[in-house]
Amino acid sequence: MTAFRIEVDRGRCTGIGICESLRDDRFEVGDDGTLILHDDSVTETEKSEFENIVLSCPASALKLIAVD
Amino acid sequence: MTLFSNFHPLITDIDISSLAFWSKTFQERDDSFKRLRDEAPVSWHAPIEDLDLTQEDHGQAGFWAVVRAEDISYVSQHHEIFSSAKGHTMLHPGRPEMSVAAAFLDQDPPEHTAYRKVMSSYFTPKAIARLSEKIDARAAEIVDRVVGAGDIEFVAEVASRLPMLTVADLLGVPEEHMEMFRDNGDKLLALQDPDAGETEEERMAVVGEAFGFFAMLGTEMAEAREKNPSDDIMTALVQAEVNGKRLDISDITMIMLLLSTAGNDTTKQTTTWSVMNLVKDPAQKAWLLEDYDARINGAVEEMVRWASPVIQFARTATQDIEFGGQRILEGDKVGIFYSSGNRDDRLFDDPWKFDLARPRNPHLGFGGGGVHYCLGNGVAKAQLRALMKNILTKLPDIELGEPTYLVNDFINGVKTLPVTIR
Repeated sequence: MTAFRIEVDRGRCTGIGICESLRDDRFEVGDDGTLILHDDSVTETEKSEFENIVLSCPASALKLIAVD
Repeated sequence: MTLFSNFHPLITDIDISSLAFWSKTFQERDDSFKRLRDEAPVSWHAPIEDLDLTQEDHGQAGFWAVVRAEDISYVSQHHEIFSSAKGHTMLHPGRPEMSVAAAFLDQDPPEHTAYRKVMSSYFTPKAIARLSEKIDARAAEIVDRVVGAGDIEFVAEVASRLPMLTVADLLGVPEEHMEMFRDNGDKLLALQDPDAGETEEERMAVVGEAFGFFAMLGTEMAEAREKNPSDDIMTALVQAEVNGKRLDISDITMIMLLLSTAGNDTTKQTTTWSVMNLVKDPAQKAWLLEDYDARINGAVEEMVRWASPVIQFARTATQDIEFGGQRILEGDKVGIFYSSGNRDDRLFDDPWKFDLARPRNPHLGFGGGGVHYCLGNGVAKAQLRALMKNILTKLPDIELGEPTYLVNDFINGVKTLPVTIR
């Protein structure tokens, strides 16, 4: 059950890839340096893990948005 | 306006400027930084004492020290207020006529964005995964060389070797230039190293020699890559266009120099500090080896946090601003002390504890976040993973001798570490 969506601020993202180092099944920095988001949905049980990923982004480019 | 010319009253008697202070150990220095974190989170200080230059020579009034993790992150992320281009990023004062921009390190967006993007694709997780085979092979070679070696100097024989070789691989330096590339990388920081020469002239000559080598190599490699493009950073540099223009040879050389300093001393120091810590804590070493592949990623973050190889970088205020209870003026130098942030107990419980199982708290070892976040962080971590695996499995019995430490306000370093490898 999707409780949250991951949002990427493309203006801030520079493809550093800390997100990919934490969940490479969901985040992939392409060879051109652009972030590819595989499945932006986050469940309630995953929330804490993805909040940590959001916090770990050095460019503050990630956000978790609540889905109604 | 003349930069760094505003004088401010001292609000603390805590000294972080003198040579005597910087000659103290990492732990002793942090006693002072802890007091600053608690009593004066933003404070004014006299310019860092230089081996040769007087205040008249460099003309700088002093600097603001920002020492808490949260504030360091704020400064790092607000590049429009705290610029890297305006006065460059060196805390240590130098002769104003000698201030040279260290490529994109000393640029702000949008220039920084364009230059960094030229090579950032070589530093993505996938690119580093492709480089891993080479890194692993080199790490194994370096460690195999010292198995059962008896008495050796660990920094020279092990810790210093991999970083420059990896930078060389990334750039595409030909194998025949590798040794000289490594030697000259070390010479670049000679100006503040009292062991590199007795006088300013002597030390400058050492740096000059190193510059000369990199200029020669850069020119040679650029010409080679024009003719025969390859899959390396040098090719990316000769092919790149920024604002519709190709990079000129001095841009290319400065970038090579930046990678050769940034990618050299840093990983080398983290390796040495971490080996010292692991030898002193066999329980942690055992814990790590118990499930290396699952535990090493978190562990290397702690290794970087603990070692904090880059002590600080500076920024220049682009406007007047109230910060940490102080009034910073436009043109003032602001030093952000990552090594202090990494010991801030507001962010880390028991911050002096080397704890490889620490929950992955974002540390400041790769900077405070924002656009200048260490481009090479992934390369550093890949090197540490490879080196530690080899060291911990192939050199199970290391006896530590008495280390000597780098006296330096920029790099938190171990100069020599005699060991006995059985």
